[in-house]
Amino acid sequence: MAESALSATGPGQDGTSEEVLLRDYLHRVGDNRAGLYAVHVHLSDLRPGNRQPNFIRIAARSFEYLVNNFEATLYPMSNADLILVCRDVPVDEVDSVILKARALFHEDPLTAGEDGAFGDRFTTWYDLSQPDDYVALIGIADQLLAETLQRQRREAEAVAAAGARAMTGRPLDPPTLAAIRQQLQGARLFDLIHQQTAVQVRHGGKGRVLFREHFVSMFELQKRVAPGVNLFGNMWLFQYMTEFLDRRLLAILSRRGLDEGKDSISLNLNVPTVLSRDFQEFHQGLGTLANRVIIEVQLIDALADMGAFAYARDSLRERGYRVLIDGLNPFALQFFDAQPLEADFIKINWSREFLGDDANRRPAALSESVARAGPERIVLARVETEEAVKWGTGLGITGFQGQLVDEIVETMSDRGMI
Amino acid sequence: MARSPESQRLVPSQEHLLLDYVHRLEKHKQDRRAVHIHLSQLKAFHRREQHVRAAANSFEPLVKALQGQLFVLQNSDLVFIYKAEVHPQTETIVQRVRFLFSDDPLLADEGDEGGGFATWYDVEKEFDRILQLVQGLVRVDRRQIAREGARMDTRAALKARQEKGEPLTPEVLGRVEAALERADLSNLVRRQFVCSLSANMVPEPVFSELFISVGDLRETLLPGVNLMSNRWLFQHLTRTLDLRMLAMLSKTDHITISGDISFNLNVSTLLSQEFLTFDDNITARRRGSMIIELQHVDIFADLGAYLFAREFVQEKGYRVCLDGVTHHTLAMFDREELGADLIKLLWHPEFAHLSEEAPETIRTIVRRAGEGRVVLCRVDNRQAVDFGRAMGIGLFQGRHVENLIAEDNRRRELLRLKRRIERG
Repeated sequence: MAESALSATGPGQDGTSEEVLLRDYLHRVGDNRAGLYAVHVHLSDLRPGNRQPNFIRIAARSFEYLVNNFEATLYPMSNADLILVCRDVPVDEVDSVILKARALFHEDPLTAGEDGAFGDRFTTWYDLSQPDDYVALIGIADQLLAETLQRQRREAEAVAAAGARAMTGRPLDPPTLAAIRQQLQGARLFDLIHQQTAVQVRHGGKGRVLFREHFVSMFELQKRVAPGVNLFGNMWLFQYMTEFLDRRLLAILSRRGLDEGKDSISLNLNVPTVLSRDFQEFHQGLGTLANRVIIEVQLIDALADMGAFAYARDSLRERGYRVLIDGLNPFALQFFDAQPLEADFIKINWSREFLGDDANRRPAALSESVARAGPERIVLARVETEEAVKWGTGLGITGFQGQLVDEIVETMSDRGMI
Repeated sequence: MARSPESQRLVPSQEHLLLDYVHRLEKHKQDRRAVHIHLSQLKAFHRREQHVRAAANSFEPLVKALQGQLFVLQNSDLVFIYKAEVHPQTETIVQRVRFLFSDDPLLADEGDEGGGFATWYDVEKEFDRILQLVQGLVRVDRRQIAREGARMDTRAALKARQEKGEPLTPEVLGRVEAALERADLSNLVRRQFVCSLSANMVPEPVFSELFISVGDLRETLLPGVNLMSNRWLFQHLTRTLDLRMLAMLSKTDHITISGDISFNLNVSTLLSQEFLTFDDNITARRRGSMIIELQHVDIFADLGAYLFAREFVQEKGYRVCLDGVTHHTLAMFDREELGADLIKLLWHPEFAHLSEEAPETIRTIVRRAGEGRVVLCRVDNRQAVDFGRAMGIGLFQGRHVENLIAEDNRRRELLRLKRRIERG
């Protein structure tokens, strides 16, 4: 995401980047600095999810009023920061514009401080008539330019290096989707199915396996059937694609059967798939082993037709399956009540970007929402760092899944602890 | 509204109305007759909606002349209670209804007598029998509600598939998108009013929703393809429709717009360059008259984007309406928590069959959301309005509301005419 933010406001090829323009301007004004001041808006410190190019573009537009009506210039930096340079503009006018920009990101920890107050991390003000501030801002401008050049180099390397974590390529569109669907009918997929273990950590560090999620690796799928296409680039079309992937997955698992072990497995399926004949057939092959299978359903899939979801959930339960709601971010629970979903598990996808230095903007609301949903039912997924585990355990969550968990499971099973 | 045990079911079914009617009849039973027509015994293919409606319509003249009252029961049976003086006409009508179904085995087996088709009662002499019959119907009604509801849904879904055509595929979607980019959709824009209703059902428009008729779009672009068959592909298509709608709203000469308006958009559209351009071209005053409707599925697909977009548009002066809330999901969302100005709740007949404690829960949710901030939409009949009012909902939208507006206009027109004649 950081790389796409760059392309939106990035410097031109000819070196006339905003960074360069700002630096030139500051040098040009020389001693003519009466009434001149600047505000540095630190949008680069936003969580990555809030630092998307269209967000930044909209935030930058808040300043148009100042630029059009006063002697003011806005320099959008390539790292998403904004630098506003004003001469004799009433501070109140600037304040009200910054207040609006701040409100846009009010869910972000960056905006927690008060405007201009000590400890405000959203903005820094420079009185350019004062030599100290003037020199300081020139320093910042130099630094931003250096960083930009460095980042450009790094990003060129990153793009070159294959297997970046974020999927790259042009976003999925209907004709491409049609082609992928064709391809998928005959493509070999069984070797793209991977497993990841979710564990429940109990007192004293002992753990037990909750389930092993079976999933199709989208990165490998991209390589096989859609090189150059970002499958995640269009949410709705991706969702549609998963509907026919479901069928393939079920067919493969039917052939393969469940392993000898006692561990449960989980599968991501769409609600219409659960109600389809393909699932019927899968179930018939499974028989009484259904109680070892957990069906994961995306939250938006459930919301799209709650009647169908409730019906699917109840009929799954009747046959012994358990149901998991997937696709929540760490603060989603604060915005809806998960109780009516009556799920056995709720999966939250942990992401660093949702946490500020203080871990959360509204810790009370967060723990309250987790308590309401039932921490014992929650599985924190995409756990890659200790920090994530700490965040989860702090909220009473005991279920974990992710890269870090994989490593721990390996160690534990080596020592016979699991 | 008084809260009798009946009212806990939210809306009285015909069975309950009939029971109520029979109770009141006890004091006026002389010279009354009743006939129970057993359409429920007919073969299913004869019991279609249009057949039952046709049968019920036959009684219309007598009902209009205030000679009798007709009840159409859940199982398709008809009960007609009438004044003895119209007994001959009633016999003729029942004969005519019978004729409608003359090839049904129910009638074929019985010869001309038709005893199994209709049962006749003299209310004065057989009041207890009638009361028993009706009480029995109410009990059955309660039991059947859940089951019938489910069956009707499946049937309705099947019917929709047959009527609406082949499912949409990505190939076709690509073609539709390309066609939409060029097509002039202004003649496909429809408008529906959101109204408050006075005690005697006079509608007062509060704002109107503009939308592109998907049914007509299909007829124009791709007859035989069901654009709504896959929710994800349709959701994707709405992004293209969003852009067309914004383009039309920018050119006011395309559509005459008066009063406050609402329209559906995707969150991603609000964050697009096209919306920023649209926003640039309209005056601040018009922003205040616009309500942007967002689907809850879209909101939860990217909650972060929603929170940002909502803040952005509200700050500009637009209002935001949470759309797509159903009887299943109402309890899950808090308007204030989501920061929406309005909530649109989709009417569904199942609202009338919810659990006993449901009405109180819904009333609490409506009260918390704010009476003037909840819109009951897809209001197709009086039942929906009665339900909404009982729940404390103040705003209504749907076919029935459109009818009320038309009726009100007619009434005003007549009034004007009358005044002119009087003055004449």
